[in-house]
Amino acid sequence: MGQELLRVDDLHTFFFTEAGVVKAVDGVSFSLDEKEPLGLVGESGSGKSVTAQSILGIVPRPGKVLSGRVLLKGEDLLKKKDSDMRKLRGRKIGVVFQDPNSSLNPLFTVGKQLTDVVRTHFDISKGQAFEKGVGLLKLVRIPEPETRMTQYPHELSGGMKQRVAIARALAGEPEILIADEPTTNLDVTIQAQVLELLKSLQRELNMALMMITHDMGIVAEMTEKVVVLYAGRVAEVSPTREIFSSPKHPYTAALLKAVPRIDKKASLMSIPGNIPNLIEPPAGCRFHPRCKYMTQLCVDQIPPLEDILEHRKVSCHHWKELSLESEMAA
Amino acid sequence: MGFFVFLMVFGFFLAPYPVRDFGCLYQGCTNLPPFTDWAHPLGTENSGIDVYSEILNGTPNDLFVGIGATVISVAIGVLVGAIAGYGRGFSSAILLGFTQVFLTLPVLIIILLFARVFVLLVAGGFGLPLITLILGVFGWPTIALVARGEILRIRELEFVQAARALGAGNRRILFRHIVPNMLSPIIVISTLLIAGNILTEVIISFLGFGDPNTSTWGLLLQEGFAYIRTEWWVSLFPGLAVVFCVLGFNLMGDGLSDALNPRLRE
Repeated sequence: MGQELLRVDDLHTFFFTEAGVVKAVDGVSFSLDEKEPLGLVGESGSGKSVTAQSILGIVPRPGKVLSGRVLLKGEDLLKKKDSDMRKLRGRKIGVVFQDPNSSLNPLFTVGKQLTDVVRTHFDISKGQAFEKGVGLLKLVRIPEPETRMTQYPHELSGGMKQRVAIARALAGEPEILIADEPTTNLDVTIQAQVLELLKSLQRELNMALMMITHDMGIVAEMTEKVVVLYAGRVAEVSPTREIFSSPKHPYTAALLKAVPRIDKKASLMSIPGNIPNLIEPPAGCRFHPRCKYMTQLCVDQIPPLEDILEHRKVSCHHWKELSLESEMAA
Repeated sequence: MGFFVFLMVFGFFLAPYPVRDFGCLYQGCTNLPPFTDWAHPLGTENSGIDVYSEILNGTPNDLFVGIGATVISVAIGVLVGAIAGYGRGFSSAILLGFTQVFLTLPVLIIILLFARVFVLLVAGGFGLPLITLILGVFGWPTIALVARGEILRIRELEFVQAARALGAGNRRILFRHIVPNMLSPIIVISTLLIAGNILTEVIISFLGFGDPNTSTWGLLLQEGFAYIRTEWWVSLFPGLAVVFCVLGFNLMGDGLSDALNPRLRE
């Protein structure tokens, strides 16, 4: 692995709604190395997207980043002024959103939208920006890029639109690409193509990739390191290849057993209960109401995120006693 | 619709007789029914005014009121709506409340009240520019509500978030992403408002609160109304002009909303 590029440190982002304070991200820490493909995994409401928004400084109201640090090459992004952050968004960190149907402005051509971003970040002429736009479309393997530049989003298919959105995210030549569930709204066959594209782009362009997803299949396919979030906290951090065979957190194990596997006959297990209400989350370990290994300690104390092996961290009081590996093999 | 805009620009020159020309009074061609004398195709009224000319002469004035008042309303409405929708907190709440209070005002009564006051203060009625101003100043709340609603909707769309995430500033987000996307409902509403304003102007003139020295369709309608049993044509034709004009603007609203939608553009 390369140098550390991004470090998120004890991040707290709360939403101050009328119903109460939603603790969407409550002490999340992880790091992302240069050129590293990282997976950020969790159920809906686990704080994946809010973490990404916090990194970029675009948390929508009534949300607010309360504390923590987001260090990009040692510089704390949370301390930067919005005007400085603006120069950095898209330039250092590119983002691909979930739904290509709504992430492109319907009123402007593909070319206009690409050159807009290009010209936000580079001081070049319209002609040069257009050339760069064509280059970006070629980069995301769109055939006939010159024609596509003059088309409107509704003239393109869903997969094509997502390619355009990826091209737009790459327009500022970012060092980190955040992909927020980029395939959730696509057909299964197109999903595979888009994932393949993201994977090869990550290698070609030597970018770090932050893949936000709830799909363990995508994690296995795309990433080398995975951060498992549960209810706004980190449950486990692990190299991807290890987590599938030896999860250390009961939540990770349960999540993995909820994924269909061709090589095992075991029936799919769902995790009992629901993701907790984040206005009044469970005390202690947030997973304890759904955890079959729960003890009084889990109710009383928040488990720290411990370094357990090289590159592995887990936030569970009982990780030593549990033998989740054998459970996975069953 | 294009027809009326054409009339507005060229109608004045097309009209065979000048504004409020009483020439016929001395030539004995008053009270002519329509289609009898091609010098006066739509007839004349009892003081000899040519109905056809008068409708044409009234066209620019009616369109002036309709479009002028709408421009004022849209300017105020979009500004208020934008602040109430994009900004937050206290000022936006105040503006919203203010808009809602304005919506409940009986605009017509207020205009008539203004008219009375002006008749008392200044001799004669009050001029068209003043009517336009008042209609404009009282017509903005609907626009403001629509603008605010649109901004609230568009602001949450993913492409706005995407623009922000990729480095766009507030101004670009507002003018490149939000305003163009809210334009089509605003334009559609505006055309309806133009039609509404023309109607209101007709009502004001018809009730005798307008400017008696400026030709408008409402004035002609009102003049003809007194003799409607014998000279129906004096009221009928300006009435038809109002109907077609208002219909035209409404159809234009429909057409524009289609034309502004890139999905239907080919």
